[in-house]
Amino acid sequence: GGTVLGVAGEDFAVIASDTRLSEYYSIHARDVPKLFRLSPQMVLGCAGFHGDVLTLTKEMNMATQIYEYEHGRTISCPATAEMLSKKLYYRRFFPFYTYNVLVGLDAEGKGAVYGFDPIGSFERETFRASGSAASLLQPLLDNQIGYNNQPNAKREPLSMDKAVALVREVFSCAAERDIHTGDGVVISVITKDGIKESFHPLRAD
Amino acid sequence: MEMNGSAVVAMVGKDCVAIAADRRFGVQAQTVSCDFQKIFPMGDRVFVGLTGLATDIITVSQRLKFRSNIYKLKEHRELSPKTLTAVISNLLYERRFGPYFCEPIVAGVDSTTGKPYISGCDLIGCPVEPADFVVAGTSTDQLFGMCEAVWKPDLAPEELFETISQAILSAVDRDALAGWGAIVHIIEKDGVTTRTLKGRMD
Repeated sequence: GGTVLGVAGEDFAVIASDTRLSEYYSIHARDVPKLFRLSPQMVLGCAGFHGDVLTLTKEMNMATQIYEYEHGRTISCPATAEMLSKKLYYRRFFPFYTYNVLVGLDAEGKGAVYGFDPIGSFERETFRASGSAASLLQPLLDNQIGYNNQPNAKREPLSMDKAVALVREVFSCAAERDIHTGDGVVISVITKDGIKESFHPLRAD
Repeated sequence: MEMNGSAVVAMVGKDCVAIAADRRFGVQAQTVSCDFQKIFPMGDRVFVGLTGLATDIITVSQRLKFRSNIYKLKEHRELSPKTLTAVISNLLYERRFGPYFCEPIVAGVDSTTGKPYISGCDLIGCPVEPADFVVAGTSTDQLFGMCEAVWKPDLAPEELFETISQAILSAVDRDALAGWGAIVHIIEKDGVTTRTLKGRMD
């Protein structure tokens, strides 16, 4: 269970996840975020089967550290996306049951969001919702950030405050209608100065 | 229920209701028609939107119209939206062990009290009467997400039209089986306004 959401801006990127761990109709824990810091400017959001989430993030942490030792510098976001894709496809016939969203800054300092499927197909996007409430959130993001079906709307560049406010509101909506999403939302904002995390409570029912 | 594809949503506003549906009729991946009717008038101010298997949409709407006509002839008055919900529920539950694959939504303004009313049922007639909005079809998840975010209480008819239009168009854009435009009816005490929306034709 669980939902992850990533939004890219001009010089920042935002990633958020709920903190509920559920199985069928029960809640195992209310304080389990699905965000994992891979580098000072990159966060991996990982929702789905939690066993595979923990294993995959362990592998990714190991891989990014080894890259640092071998190359003498931190791995870039696009390179991590390629690596994650390979790791997932390696298990093509016994997949990691995980829905991943990788968020960071690209080489030019612009926000980058990469959405993955469980076997490694990935694409760079402006925004991506993943996990149990993905189908509830994705059309809303299309409409509010992508100005979908709004031909006369004034297209403004997305500011950090608007992005964070939108993410909070959107998670509230998801918590209302999806039973696996709720308890709290952790939001990580990535800029060239680093990662700032914040926590906001959600419906606990 | 995922054979033909459909999306219907109804919302409550200030002294008005809105009901909207997509226009696609397909056989799984193949689109067959882009102007398939899914919302049917059952009176001057009461509409029924049906989702699910297309043949059952047609049959249920015809049988419902029959019951509505008989009621009007016997009682010399129209069915109120609340009563229509009870009629649909009965119609569907009669087929409890061999159901119509059809999930209806009722939207209307009561002609005597002027109160707006919406309701929905599952395929065997369990009714639900929320105060805000009802959704049905193959895009329910997407519609829930959109409606939860954009709906506010006491929207005026014009605002309600914009709200429901954005909700349905953005939701069906993320559903392969629904779309090809939409039709929206705004129902007020004084009259009904019908508009057709152009969306992504895929």
